[in-house]
Amino acid sequence: MKEILKHFIFAELIYHEDPAAFGDDDNLLDAGLDSMGIMRLIMFAEKEFGVTLPDTEIEPDNVGSLNSLESWIRRSGYAG
Amino acid sequence: MTDTKEQLFNPGDYFTYVLDQEIRNAGMPGGYCGFALQLAETPDLSALQQRLDLLVARFPQASAKIEPRGKRFAWVATGNPIPLEFHQCQPGADEADESQRLLLDIFNRPESRPLTVHWIAGAEGGTLLLIWLHPLLDARGCKILLDFLSSERPDSFKESSSLIEAKLAQWNFWKKLQLFFKAKRHNTAANSLDSCLPTQIEQGPQRLHLKVQRFDADQSQRIAKLAQQATGLTGRTLYYLGCIMRAMEWVGPPAAKDGYCIPYAFNLRRQNAPTPVFGNHIGCLFARATREQVRDRTGLFAHLVSEHKQVVRDELDLAYLPLMWLGQWLTPAKYAKVLRKQHSGGELSSLWFSDIGELSWRKQGFLGVPVTDLSLMCWMSLPPGLALLACQLDGKLVLSYSYLSPAIDEAWLDAVIARMNVELLDSP
Repeated sequence: MKEILKHFIFAELIYHEDPAAFGDDDNLLDAGLDSMGIMRLIMFAEKEFGVTLPDTEIEPDNVGSLNSLESWIRRSGYAG
Repeated sequence: MTDTKEQLFNPGDYFTYVLDQEIRNAGMPGGYCGFALQLAETPDLSALQQRLDLLVARFPQASAKIEPRGKRFAWVATGNPIPLEFHQCQPGADEADESQRLLLDIFNRPESRPLTVHWIAGAEGGTLLLIWLHPLLDARGCKILLDFLSSERPDSFKESSSLIEAKLAQWNFWKKLQLFFKAKRHNTAANSLDSCLPTQIEQGPQRLHLKVQRFDADQSQRIAKLAQQATGLTGRTLYYLGCIMRAMEWVGPPAAKDGYCIPYAFNLRRQNAPTPVFGNHIGCLFARATREQVRDRTGLFAHLVSEHKQVVRDELDLAYLPLMWLGQWLTPAKYAKVLRKQHSGGELSSLWFSDIGELSWRKQGFLGVPVTDLSLMCWMSLPPGLALLACQLDGKLVLSYSYLSPAIDEAWLDAVIARMNVELLDSP
């Protein structure tokens, strides 16, 4: 799952000289993920993994890194 | 255009060219935008001129001219240099006022070149003014261009192809058609709610003016926190849009109709990407609300977030790309009608808006000189005759209001700006 998210983020939302070197706990917001990017990322994750990510849970703790994103998606009912 | 003498417009370039033509046809200079950087000291101006020469050598589009190619248009290299133009604040005058006067004189003059660069000298530092024609590049591209002018490694800046064309190439014919009809339906809905406007005037000679609101670090943090509460982590732009709608409604729109519609750009550029430099890589979205929705602050923000999420969920953000692609084969006048006119014949946009996001020269300054302040400006069609450009300089919010006079009543705008500040800080 993290690889799919990572590919989308670095192909569409954020430029990084070496995406492979971007760690699963590195901060996506510090790397440049902005408000419009977060919206597109959430919509992508909902469609890709068939979950609904609650609006009330859109916060830095859940979208701040690849690990936190993955945990959030799994908590939201991803059965894959 | 790095290696060639000619570059066809991409769909985003043509979209902005059509609006440029609308502005020129109304007797104004055209679709020009400006970044004005206040610098603490005078930078090495000969180094800046050398860098401008390198810019033209590396990116000939920077001084190209526009020529028709069948039904489409292209940038054709001229090889003309971009001379740094010097201006001097009169000694004894209030420097801030004098600098702003010179800046607006430059911005109001007739122009045909796509990019001009000016140094307005003050007693110590001064203002670096970069003016560009929108079909040449978008605002994020302008930041990259400024980075090129100031970089110690200009060779690291390279051009790449249109992101819109790349996106379009990912979709087969049926997907494009599907998105096209989605966008068309969305447009029909947008065009059925008549937009309130900041003026009833639609023609006559105009001069562009500028009012800039600067918020300190504490205020900016408070606004960011309130934006997160009102529109969530996903919607700082929507917070600004909601606040300006409420401010206009509070004061009373001079052309009062059914609701508000504010177009805002959706940028295909990746954050922090050094490429592409030139070209417009944008789609268009609309924030819409009825006057009744605007009067309920909490409800308005919930509505704007919900509408935006639905737009992204339905891929309507990308749906405009096929529409813009097809628009390339319409004449500017016909395309402009599609872009601007509602079913009633009225103007769609209550104002022009862009959120440029975070800008910073904190690490190395501009050519080593600290950037102490910033203002943004742009020409717009009439109506609406008003544009709001938002950005953050080193975390401090800057709101630049460009407006046409006499079309926009200055006292009315002052009242709107005062109310906007109240709305942003939620301190009625």
